[in-house]
Amino acid sequence: MKQFLIVISFFYFQKSMGQELFLMTDPASNVPANSLGVNVLQSLFKEEFKSGNNYHLMPELTYGLNRNLMFRASAFVSNRNNSLVTEGGSFMTKYRFYSEDDLNSHFRMAAFGRYSFNNADIHQEQLEIMGHNTGFETGIVATKLIKKLAISSTVSFEKVFDNKPNYAFPDNQGDNATNYTLSFGQLIYPKKYTSLKQTNINLMLEFVGQTINENGKSYIDVVPVVQFIFNSQARLDLAYRKELMSSMVRSAPDGVYLNLYYTFFNLKK
Amino acid sequence: MKTFNHKYSVLIALMTLFSITSQAQIAKAEIQATGLTCSMCSNAINKQLKSLAEVENVEIDLNTNTFTVILKENNTLKPSIFKENVEKAGFFIGSLILTVKPETIAEKPYVLVDGKANTDKTIQVQVLDKGYVTDKTFKKLSKSYKNSTTYNTNSEADFHVKIVN
Repeated sequence: MKQFLIVISFFYFQKSMGQELFLMTDPASNVPANSLGVNVLQSLFKEEFKSGNNYHLMPELTYGLNRNLMFRASAFVSNRNNSLVTEGGSFMTKYRFYSEDDLNSHFRMAAFGRYSFNNADIHQEQLEIMGHNTGFETGIVATKLIKKLAISSTVSFEKVFDNKPNYAFPDNQGDNATNYTLSFGQLIYPKKYTSLKQTNINLMLEFVGQTINENGKSYIDVVPVVQFIFNSQARLDLAYRKELMSSMVRSAPDGVYLNLYYTFFNLKK
Repeated sequence: MKTFNHKYSVLIALMTLFSITSQAQIAKAEIQATGLTCSMCSNAINKQLKSLAEVENVEIDLNTNTFTVILKENNTLKPSIFKENVEKAGFFIGSLILTVKPETIAEKPYVLVDGKANTDKTIQVQVLDKGYVTDKTFKKLSKSYKNSTTYNTNSEADFHVKIVN
């Protein structure tokens, strides 16, 4: 707890621009209208119940239809069965319904919904429609920029179904959950901008949690992220995810992320 | 003699044409955007503005989020084009200052609410309407201009301006 407060204070008193391009929490802001974001998220998580690592590859396309509405399609590839297999996909949409912007601050809110399908075996109590379960998630995200610091938080409801065709969701497990995230972001380099070509470095600290609604089983993870932005157009995120507490069965809670993101602006004139 | 007259009339016609188009012309627009958090966001606005055919160049001050948009001659752009494009990128205008000739703001769609042009050279005017200033500034201005018949109607067809330079 003490360490937690120290880290928070560190973020709070840093003097530079707040950042909100979080890895775990999608901010309330959307991608620019008529732009296409292409990213590939890779993760390597250590297996708890067998030897080796669980590798996931998640390519995504994000399109901004207008200033308030965006769509995202994702594919889930994993090595769970020893060779790389595409196990499912996901569609997501986010609508920004509130914006209060000022010169050095903003407060924005958005609602989002996601539907995912997956055919992998179900091997844990944790519900995760990003790569493990078939199901939907809907929620609200709020992002606040207070001068130098960006804070974003999400609350969502997630419900899972059978992973068709072969894996029914176990009757003795809770099939719906409340998810929550809290993220802090900070630009640490440069102190002063000189050009769009300049590489930016952001530090983030994110907390991700879930409570199964039926039985109250929960987990909370911490995810520190280092983010590089190249040429104001490409993004590289390196992150480590570590379980802080858990009362549920999770097959591979701790691991690393590598995310590459590129934005194509102004698709059609 | 006849050919001379002919050339002369063409020249007059061209000059008249030029003076008509140049009256409605914005030479430069200085946009300060709000709600930005990163250079990637600035770049989104930059790319959006540069996609306009009338834009010659965009200069950016990343530290103040100010975009100086140099426009091509004889354009007929209205201030609303900047609002639309900044908002498409996902942000808002905190302040918009236009470099124009005094005769530009002397007619529709412009309404001069503050200041007087003492020169026939270019002047700088700030657009004061909702969406062209921060929400806080707009609330203040609404009180200041409560006697104006047009300002508080928030019509998008007219632009209330103040001479700043």
